[in-house]
Amino acid sequence: MGNWERLVWNQRNVLLDGFLVTLEICAIAFAVAVAAGLGLALLRLYVRPLRWPAIMWIEYCRATPIYVQLMWVNYVWPEILGWPTTFYTAGWVALALQSSGYLAETFRTGIENIGRGQREAAYAVGMSPLLTFRRIILPQVLVTIAPSIVTQFTVIVKSSTLVSVITVQDLMFQSQRLVNVWFEPIEILTATAAIYILFIFAVSAAGKALADRLRLRYGLGT
Amino acid sequence: MADPAGAPCVEVVDLHKRFGALEVLRGVSFAVDRGSVVSIIGASGSGKSTLLRCINYLEQPTSGEVRIDGEPIGIERRADGSERRRSMREIGRFRRDLGMVFQQFNLWPHLTVLGNVVEAPIRVRGLPRRQAMELARACLERVQLSEKSSEYPARLSGGQQQRVAIARALAMQPKVMLFDEATSSLDPELTGEVLEVMRGLAVDGTTMIVVTHEMGFAREVSDRVIFLHGGLIEEEGPPAQVFGTPRSERCRQFLAKLLH
Ligand SMILES: Nc1ncnc2c1ncn2[C@@H]1O[C@H](COP(=O)(O)OP(=O)(O)OP(=O)(O)O)[C@@H](O)[C@H]1O
Ligand SMILES: [Mg+2]
Repeated sequence: MGNWERLVWNQRNVLLDGFLVTLEICAIAFAVAVAAGLGLALLRLYVRPLRWPAIMWIEYCRATPIYVQLMWVNYVWPEILGWPTTFYTAGWVALALQSSGYLAETFRTGIENIGRGQREAAYAVGMSPLLTFRRIILPQVLVTIAPSIVTQFTVIVKSSTLVSVITVQDLMFQSQRLVNVWFEPIEILTATAAIYILFIFAVSAAGKALADRLRLRYGLGT
Repeated sequence: MADPAGAPCVEVVDLHKRFGALEVLRGVSFAVDRGSVVSIIGASGSGKSTLLRCINYLEQPTSGEVRIDGEPIGIERRADGSERRRSMREIGRFRRDLGMVFQQFNLWPHLTVLGNVVEAPIRVRGLPRRQAMELARACLERVQLSEKSSEYPARLSGGQQQRVAIARALAMQPKVMLFDEATSSLDPELTGEVLEVMRGLAVDGTTMIVVTHEMGFAREVSDRVIFLHGGLIEEEGPPAQVFGTPRSERCRQFLAKLLH
């Protein structure tokens, strides 16, 4: 028990700092990914000239391993675009990039699954296509894809452990640093795994509760 | 400029609609006076829904015109005689005046009953919230669903959902109500309550175009009946004539088949 106290409990502030960085970088990446995913889905569905570029971009995001994307954003983008300039930014950009590809497809199927009648009923009372999307389509899509969106957040959390590779000081980074200081991996890494597990379980449970409530309320979805 | 006093409420002029090689409407013309009820009957696939959907431009007619109070929906005719196709936005302005009730109700499941009815008055007509609420409540009263205001559509029976859909259309205070087989997807025991509401509207002087398979209703409520066949008006007249002494052989056959 002494080891746990010495290696984990006494280091709790370091681990907590790391966890907060993880939380922050995942939250930013998630918010950006949701917005970008919706944007990409809309381009793919409704903007003819940009349909193919959007499809290629989405497929690129989905097909590239997160590690490759991280390296690419961190080392290639600054050369070409002059941005991002910090490892931290490169970290959330890479995470957002990959998830935006998946979320774009989630949004697209969600939008396509809303029956034509929903749209027509809106047009029939004089609503414009934009108003129809905002007030009628999007809310229904969000309700039906809420579980997938939450799942995508857990994917981001898991992938985020890789940002430690480019020295972003997240939970994984701090945990490895402790291991390198004490040369005692068992307790520290086990505790780290436990933290991730608990966090992801909590997110999934909250997501499921939310989805159940929405479904109950509107009688939508399966 | 159109003269609303002289022109019929709705005028359909030589309407054609084709889907690829299939010509569904082949030159349909008729007019609906203010306060009158016109029923459209005909076999499945004869183009009834297409005709109704062309009237509010959910389908773009291939050629021909639809006029509301004398003004064409799809094209603007300028004083110098030139013509211009109207944008979606402008067509939306006309659609406010055309209430549509669909066979499948198409209520918005994420909004309450009241939310469904109040949405367009607020967002499209721009009414202040309180005024829109009052209007929506009055419309729900009219279809006798006031007590369901805060329910979500999924909890209502089909008949109740369709009555909400009628209230939603009424809340735009349209010049005309279009009904596309409003009772066809209902269980038989639920059609009565919807027909009752429609009958009430007709009695109140609502201008209505009703696509229906309910011949009893068409006969009793309509001022005029149109029998559509193969994309053309095959028979047209007062219900007593169309149902009693149809001139067209096809119309006679259609009605005879229904009686069996
Ligand atoms: N969007 C479309 N694309 C291609 N064909 C269509 C389309 N809409 C309708 N049609 C065809 O047009 C014809 C007329 O259809 P419509 O729905 O107007 O008939 P209807 O008289 O309303 O029939 P029902 O009584 O079954 O509702 C049918 O052959 C149908 O398959
Ligand atoms: Mg039809």
